[in-house]
Amino acid sequence: MDKKENNKSIFKSPYMFLVPPLLFYLFFWFFPVLISLIQAFTSIDGGFSLENFRMMFQDDLFAEAFFNTLIFASVSIVLQFILALSLALLINRKFKGSKMFLFIMLIPMAIPPSAVGILWNTGLIQTGWINSFLSITGVQNLMELMGIASGPVIWKQATGLQAVFMIILIDTWTVLPSVMIIILAGLQNFNEEYTEAAKVFGASRSQALRHIVLPIIKPTIITALLLRLISGLQVWLISVMIFGFNTVPFLLERIVFYTDQVRTGVYSYKLSVTYSIFVVVLVAVSAFAFVKLTKTKDWSGANE
Amino acid sequence: MNSVGKRITFYLIISTILFSVIVPMMYLTTIAFSSAVEISDYPKQLLPDLSHKLKIDWDEDSNYYVISRLNNSYEYEELYYSSRFDRHQNYLTTYLNISKTEEELEDDFIVARETGESVYLKYNKDIFNNFIKFFEVFNGASAALFNSVKAALLTILLSMTLGGSIGYALARTKIKGKDAISLGSLIVRMFPAVSISVPMAILLVKFGMFDTMIGLAIIYSIPNIGLTAWITRSIFLSINRELEEASLVFGATKIQTFRKITFPLVLPAFAASSMYAFITAWNDTAVALLLTNRNQTLALLLYKAIGGTASLHYAASGAIILILPALLFTFILKNYINKMWG
Repeated sequence: MDKKENNKSIFKSPYMFLVPPLLFYLFFWFFPVLISLIQAFTSIDGGFSLENFRMMFQDDLFAEAFFNTLIFASVSIVLQFILALSLALLINRKFKGSKMFLFIMLIPMAIPPSAVGILWNTGLIQTGWINSFLSITGVQNLMELMGIASGPVIWKQATGLQAVFMIILIDTWTVLPSVMIIILAGLQNFNEEYTEAAKVFGASRSQALRHIVLPIIKPTIITALLLRLISGLQVWLISVMIFGFNTVPFLLERIVFYTDQVRTGVYSYKLSVTYSIFVVVLVAVSAFAFVKLTKTKDWSGANE
Repeated sequence: MNSVGKRITFYLIISTILFSVIVPMMYLTTIAFSSAVEISDYPKQLLPDLSHKLKIDWDEDSNYYVISRLNNSYEYEELYYSSRFDRHQNYLTTYLNISKTEEELEDDFIVARETGESVYLKYNKDIFNNFIKFFEVFNGASAALFNSVKAALLTILLSMTLGGSIGYALARTKIKGKDAISLGSLIVRMFPAVSISVPMAILLVKFGMFDTMIGLAIIYSIPNIGLTAWITRSIFLSINRELEEASLVFGATKIQTFRKITFPLVLPAFAASSMYAFITAWNDTAVALLLTNRNQTLALLLYKAIGGTASLHYAASGAIILILPALLFTFILKNYINKMWG
C-alpha cells in the first residue's frame, strides 16, 4: 500500500472507463451549454445584461411562437394519450391478424421527419393526394353539398390555430405508434388476474380499466407521455416544411430561423442562443411539473 | 345480434386505422413512381401505373406524329407532336418515364402513317427512372447519401466505445456514483439537440469540425451514449460471469476472454444500440441544418427539396430512399425489444 503501487493502479482503476465519456461530455456538452448561458446573459460588449431576453420578448413572433408551442404540446399530448391508450387496449385483445395489424400500424414511427414532411406536402398541395382521395371517395361532393367547401380545399392557406391543429394531426399520425408501443408493453406485462378478480367482485369493464389497469400501468404511461412532452415542445420541422418560416411560428422554429435564415451576425446569434436557453428552461420546468402533477400515491403500491 | 354489431364496429375501427396508415404511404409510393405527366393528373391515383397507354396519330397536313395518353378520366389527352423520332424519344423519357430507342419508336409509329389510322400502344414505364433522376436533379444527392452513411457510422463508433465503456463500468465494477451517472445521462438527454447546436457551431469552428460529419456525429452521440450505456449495462449484468472465470482459469488472457467469450454474448446488445445510433443520425435534419454548410446529409437535402412542386415526384422517390433503411432498422429493433422484455 505504498505510494508507488497507488500510482500504478490508477490506470487499472475502474474509474478509467468513465474518463473518456466524461471528457466527451465536458467538451461537447458542458462547454456549449456554458457558452450559451454566458452568451444569453451578456450584452454585446461583454457585461452582464438581460438585454437579450428583452429583445426576445419583443420579437414580433415571440408571443405567437410561445403560445403555439404550448398549445401544440398540450393538445397533442392529450390527443395522443387517448388514442394510444385505446389502440393499445384494442391490440392487446389479440384478435385474428392482430400481429399484422400491429406491424402496419408501426410504419409511421419509422419514417424520418423530413420524409414525413415530403409525404404530407404531396398531400396538402391543392392537387395533392388528400384532395384526390376526398374526391375519389365522394367526400368532396358531400362537402360541397353541405357548403363546407367550394372546389378543392387549399390546405396550405390555413393560418393560426387551424394550422397548428393540422400540424398536431400530422405529428399524431407520425408518433402515435411509438406512444402506443410503450403502453402496449406495459399492458402485456400486466397480470390479467387483477381484472378477472375485479370482474368476479362485480366491476364492469370500464370500472376495471379505470381503477385497476390504469393505475398499474401508470408509470409506463407517464414515461411515454414525458417523452412526448419533451419532443412536443421542440416541434418545428413539419411547420417549416409545410407552411415555411414565419407563418406558423414555434419556439424552435425561431431558433432555426435566426440561425439559418437571418445572418445579421451577432444580434441574430444572441437571439437564437437566448431562445435556446428559454426552450431548455421551458422543457425542464414542464417535465418537472408533469412528473409532479402525475405522481400521486396510488400507483407506487400497485407496482408490485 | 348485439355481439355481431360489436364485431362489425370493432373491425370498422381496425380498418379505419389501417387505412389511415396505408393510404398516405400508398400515395407517397405512387407519386415516387409517377412520371412528370402523371404528377399533374388530378385526382391522383392510389396505385402506381406500370405502363402508359398511348395513342399515336399521323397528321397528314403538318407531317407529324401526335402522341396522346389515356389519362385518369379515361380520355386520350394530346401531349406532344413532332416529326422527329429523337424528339419523341426525348419527350417519352423525360415526361413519361418510358425508355425506348428511336428505332423501336419508328417501328411502332410508322404504322399510323402507313394505315392512316390511330395506333394504340402500351409502353412499360422504367420504374427506376425517378430514383436515378433524383440523383441527377438534386445537386449533390449522391454525396449527401454518402455523408448520411458516414455520419451514421461515426455516430455508431462514438456511442459504442463511449457508451459501452460506461455500461461495462456500471455492470462490472464497484464504482461509486452510479446513481449520479444515470441522473446525468437523463439530464443530458433532456436538452434539445437544437439548443446545443447553436453554441456548438462556434466550438466546432474552433476545432475545425464545422461542416464535417464527425461534428454531426458528436452531437448525435450525446443522447445515444446514455442509451447505449443503459442497454449494454443490462446485457453485461445478464452474462454469466462463471463462463468468463472458467476461461481465465484455463489460461486465456483477459483480452482473449473478452474477444472469445464476452464479446459474442454482448453482440446482440451492441447491434441493437448501433441501430438506435444509426436511426438517430440518419433521421436528423435540425442538427445537420445548423452545423453544416456545404456537406449536406440526405435528410437535410430532402428538407430543402420541398420548394418546387414540379420536382415533387423526384423528392418523393428521395423520401423512399430515406425511409427504407430507417424502416428496416426500426422493425429489427422492435423484434429485439420484444425479445428483451419477453
